[in-house]
Amino acid sequence: MFAAAANYVLLTGPLYYSSLPLWITFLPMLAGIGIYFLKDHWEIARKGCALIVSFLSFIGVVLLFPLSLAGSVSYDLIDFMQMGLFFEVDLIGWIFAFLITLVWFLATVFSFAYMDFEHNRRRYYSFLIFTLGATLGVVMAGDFFTLFLFFELMTLSSFILVIHEQDAESMKAGMLYLYLGIFGGLALLFAIMMLFSATGSVDIVPAIELLGGQRTFIFVCFLIGFGIKAGLVPMHIWLPQAHPVAPSPASALLSGIMIKSGAYGILRVSLILFSSPAELPAPDASYLFILGNVLMWIGIVTMLAGATMALLQTNMKRILAYSSVSQIGYIATGLGVAAFLGIEGGMGFAGAVYHVINHAFFKAGLFMMVGTIYIYTHELELPRLGGMFKKMPLVGITFLVAAFGIAGIPGFNGYPSKTLVHDALLIAIRDYSLISFEVAEKIFVLTSALTICYFIKLFRGVFLGSVPEKLDRDYRLPFSVNAVLGSFALIIIGIGFFPNLILERILVPASEGLNYEGYAMDHLYHFHFFEWPPLEAMLIVVVLAMFIYIPGAYRGWFDWKPPWWLSIYALIYEPITHRILDATCRAGVLVDSSVDSAYDRSGIMARIWCKYIGNFDAGLDRFYEKTSKGARELADRSAEMDSKLDDLYEKTGKGARKLADRSTDMDSALDEAYRKTGETAKKLVNQTSNAERRLDGVYDSVGKKTREEINKMLSEKKKQRFDPAKWTTKNLSFDTLLLVLVLLIVMGVIFYFGRSL
Amino acid sequence: MGQMTIVAIIIAIVGFPILMTPVIMYSSRISEKLRNTLSVVTSAITFGLTLSLYPFVIGGGEIQVTVFEVLPNLEISLRLDILSFCLAALSSFIWFLCTIYSLDYMAREHACDRYYPVLIFTLGACQGIFFAGDLFSLFVFFELMSLIAYILVIHEETEEALKAGYKYLVMTIIGGLALFFGMIIIFELGGTVSLGVGVIIEETSTLAFLAFICFLIGFGMKAGMFPLHVWLPDAHPVAPSPASALLSGVMLKTGAYGLIRVIFHVFSPELIQSGGWDIVLSVLAVITILLGSAVALTQEDIKRRLAYSSISQLGYVLLGLSILNSNAVIGAVFHIFSHAFMKSVLFLAAGAIIWNTGKRQIADMKGIGRQMPVTMGCFSIAALAMIGIPPLNGFLSKWTLALGALDANMVIYVLVLLVSSLLNALYYLPIIIPAFFDLPGESSHEHHDQHKEIQFNMQDATPSMLSVMVILAFCTLIFGLTPNNIVFTLSRFAAQYLLGGAF
Repeated sequence: MFAAAANYVLLTGPLYYSSLPLWITFLPMLAGIGIYFLKDHWEIARKGCALIVSFLSFIGVVLLFPLSLAGSVSYDLIDFMQMGLFFEVDLIGWIFAFLITLVWFLATVFSFAYMDFEHNRRRYYSFLIFTLGATLGVVMAGDFFTLFLFFELMTLSSFILVIHEQDAESMKAGMLYLYLGIFGGLALLFAIMMLFSATGSVDIVPAIELLGGQRTFIFVCFLIGFGIKAGLVPMHIWLPQAHPVAPSPASALLSGIMIKSGAYGILRVSLILFSSPAELPAPDASYLFILGNVLMWIGIVTMLAGATMALLQTNMKRILAYSSVSQIGYIATGLGVAAFLGIEGGMGFAGAVYHVINHAFFKAGLFMMVGTIYIYTHELELPRLGGMFKKMPLVGITFLVAAFGIAGIPGFNGYPSKTLVHDALLIAIRDYSLISFEVAEKIFVLTSALTICYFIKLFRGVFLGSVPEKLDRDYRLPFSVNAVLGSFALIIIGIGFFPNLILERILVPASEGLNYEGYAMDHLYHFHFFEWPPLEAMLIVVVLAMFIYIPGAYRGWFDWKPPWWLSIYALIYEPITHRILDATCRAGVLVDSSVDSAYDRSGIMARIWCKYIGNFDAGLDRFYEKTSKGARELADRSAEMDSKLDDLYEKTGKGARKLADRSTDMDSALDEAYRKTGETAKKLVNQTSNAERRLDGVYDSVGKKTREEINKMLSEKKKQRFDPAKWTTKNLSFDTLLLVLVLLIVMGVIFYFGRSL
Repeated sequence: MGQMTIVAIIIAIVGFPILMTPVIMYSSRISEKLRNTLSVVTSAITFGLTLSLYPFVIGGGEIQVTVFEVLPNLEISLRLDILSFCLAALSSFIWFLCTIYSLDYMAREHACDRYYPVLIFTLGACQGIFFAGDLFSLFVFFELMSLIAYILVIHEETEEALKAGYKYLVMTIIGGLALFFGMIIIFELGGTVSLGVGVIIEETSTLAFLAFICFLIGFGMKAGMFPLHVWLPDAHPVAPSPASALLSGVMLKTGAYGLIRVIFHVFSPELIQSGGWDIVLSVLAVITILLGSAVALTQEDIKRRLAYSSISQLGYVLLGLSILNSNAVIGAVFHIFSHAFMKSVLFLAAGAIIWNTGKRQIADMKGIGRQMPVTMGCFSIAALAMIGIPPLNGFLSKWTLALGALDANMVIYVLVLLVSSLLNALYYLPIIIPAFFDLPGESSHEHHDQHKEIQFNMQDATPSMLSVMVILAFCTLIFGLTPNNIVFTLSRFAAQYLLGGAF
């Protein structure tokens, strides 16, 4: 960072270390915080504090002049926020700082009278003074990081000034201002980050060669960031809403000073960052030519659109706000021309910076004059005003002076700066002779004519005509208001009569760091403002204005209200922001809720699965249960069968035993019978041995009969005991079957043999 | 200090709050005052003990000690290095302040006898996570903290709270199981889960990737990473505000901490990058950032909006971790700090508003800045820090993260950060601007004609609540504004330690 800074020093002259820039910046900021803690009714202390602080910072800036003229003043707080806070005031920065402090001081004095009618003065003064510090920080910053820090602070603290009234309209305008301010801040931050990553430093030094392929991107981001603040078309939409709703001194500062911080940033980027100390190769040079052209055309479009819209307004402050847009267009045009002309760009640079100075004075003055009328009449609408020249002659005269200034009438301060920008365009036409520059020049002239037209409209509406009855009373302006308005008029006339003073003493030295040479610079040293060519151009403008205004006012062209849908807000901003926001939110909510419901659903699914598994489990359980029941039944049955079998066996055994017993009985009975028969026979033999022969036949037949009888008897007995029909083979297992079979065989054998006996 | 002293201090930091839990529980039977005093004193002592490690840590000290071995190679161990110190100091600081805040806030709540012991126990578990020397101990403390914090979530015991708590619990358990699985894989692959061996896994494999995904699920769950964030916007808003502040401000960070440990000590940044695993993380981080911001925009309940904002902010940390270069890691660690300060203030201030007025809906908060100027002032500072307004700390962390992204040539990440900042602005500004500049209820057309100061009956939160919020808001300012402040230096050292081993 410091190596690069040292590089830059070689361009601009010696570097003086002084903590003065730090104090100039921080004193108002600290004082602003301090004022907030003063008690509500300490009116004098509050005003005194504000006055002293704004005066002190003015003195501080004046003290910086000799050093900035000789080189630049720098101071750094190393490592502040890890990047360091680096102040460096060269002459360009000094011009802005001087303007800021001077106009701020006057606005503070004007506030004393104006704000007595307003509420919440403690907050107003606190933020008024705080914003002074932040704005000074922007123009005294030595690198883009510091610049960004103060830029953001300025956006936030000036927001409080914008919404001071706190009614619905100012809140709406304020929110738009804040959102766009933050958006611009982020674009700026992005650009600075890209710059830092490309070059390794955030210094404001010529670095076009280092930027590489992302340079267009960086430039666009810078242009968005600073362009929003400056109010370049199409980023100007907040400006006509926010400037009118603020209290008049704050509007004066917003329009006169704060939008210049955007212009200052564009200047630093387009003329310093996107340039090179050395001769550039052809592709780079043509690249810069394109960038400059783009910037110039944005400026041209801005000036025309602003002037046209100003012509169509009826609210005093809105006219002035659109006029600011238009005037910023002049400044951007000058810067653009300076950027593409390269070393010949001195004229454009001088014109742009000169116009910054002039616009600060006449626009701040105009807002305060309008504000003066507003505090006494509470009217901002042109149709309800009129005849104020008689009631407030001093305001009328100063207003006329400021209007001449902004219209570019020779002898007032707008003339030299517009002439310089115009000459820069002429140089461009001479050098490049492109048709687009011719067109740009024509639009420039047309816009200047329109500027005169809307100021005639404004002046006629407010100061001429008859006084409305409601407002017909005597007005006494306090001295402070007269003094402030008077000093604006004096400054405007002073610069108008001695235009070369500022040009040669300040603007030409300021351009030294920028490598300008050639025709433009030679010409600038002794620029003859009061010669025929510039005066002729001015005359053309005035005549053209008459040709536009007279028929326009006669036919009521300027009362046409552009429909809402035609406004850039309705055409571009609202659809884009709403759609994008809506889409973002919807997409976010959709994704979020779908993830959430995916979880829920997967939970539900899991539960359902669990249910299934549970069912399966229960089924299995039932199955087991059934199986076991079946098994038990089976077991029961087999036990039954077993016992039956057992019974059967037992019975069979018993039967068998009985059978055996019986057969034993029978056997013994037979035995007995045999024995008895034998014994009887023996007895018979013994007894009838004598009558054997006689009775032989008798005995034989008797014996035969007896044996037959016995056999018959026995077989009958057997037939009675064993009845095979009673036996069942059901439920018999094989073994038992076998057993039974064996038994049957045994019995069959016995039976068989028994029968055969 | 000798090594033994350090180890004793670490054990005390983890053990003391856990030991004090039954004491506090018992003391609530004696008197409420004793219970409250003991709670504050415990958290203060824990914070003090943690701070006493500073000289050792800043001197480059590093300790890895085994306390006892559970199984071979599986142990409960402690570790102290600059990263653990950073997070432990942060968490005990926020805990201390939130405990003080609880005194007045919880006085209107029921079941304080349950609240305080749980609060203090969770502190111990949380410190345990930061001082864990291996994945196993980390897992144990992580589960302990997550499960105990459930009681804080459901404190209100409303149906809503119970539902949110249920969701929290289920997802915590899923996360815990994922962690456990990851840990087992690491143990299988590397034979150890200690964080003290440098790098455990040295080459990519499917299994290692699976482990990485498991850790991503487990820790990402806690950090509110995109597909796993759903519990967060339910659970954080229903808890009592000091608990929400802790949940969002500190406990979310345990997830980020775990991921840092996994990326740098289990795997290595080179491995993560060579395997292309960082792409998974960065894609999820980008979605998380944008999704959180976009959904926050649609929330009408202030605490829900803050919870979604937390999701988006943790996305920044994850993004920094996925970029894995010096600036990005500094940014990630610094954002852990920044977000802890910012989000605690936001939740505490929102809590103070709810406590004081019972208003939860953002639309009802018009003019609340005049009724509670200090509370809303702190809220505004923290909200501006969230948007990334310099010179607050949120800006510094975004700046550092963006530089890291640009160092890695990822312009798209910077765009994501800036878009998210813009969305932050869109959902924070509509809270703070109407709070100060709108009038409640009536239409604000007539008053400016009357030119009078609007008087509100000013009724702010109690001094102890206010002082806590003011201290934290001051931290968001001072740690952005001052050069080389302690927090940024610590973050830088931690990043250097993680990336290069020494600082």
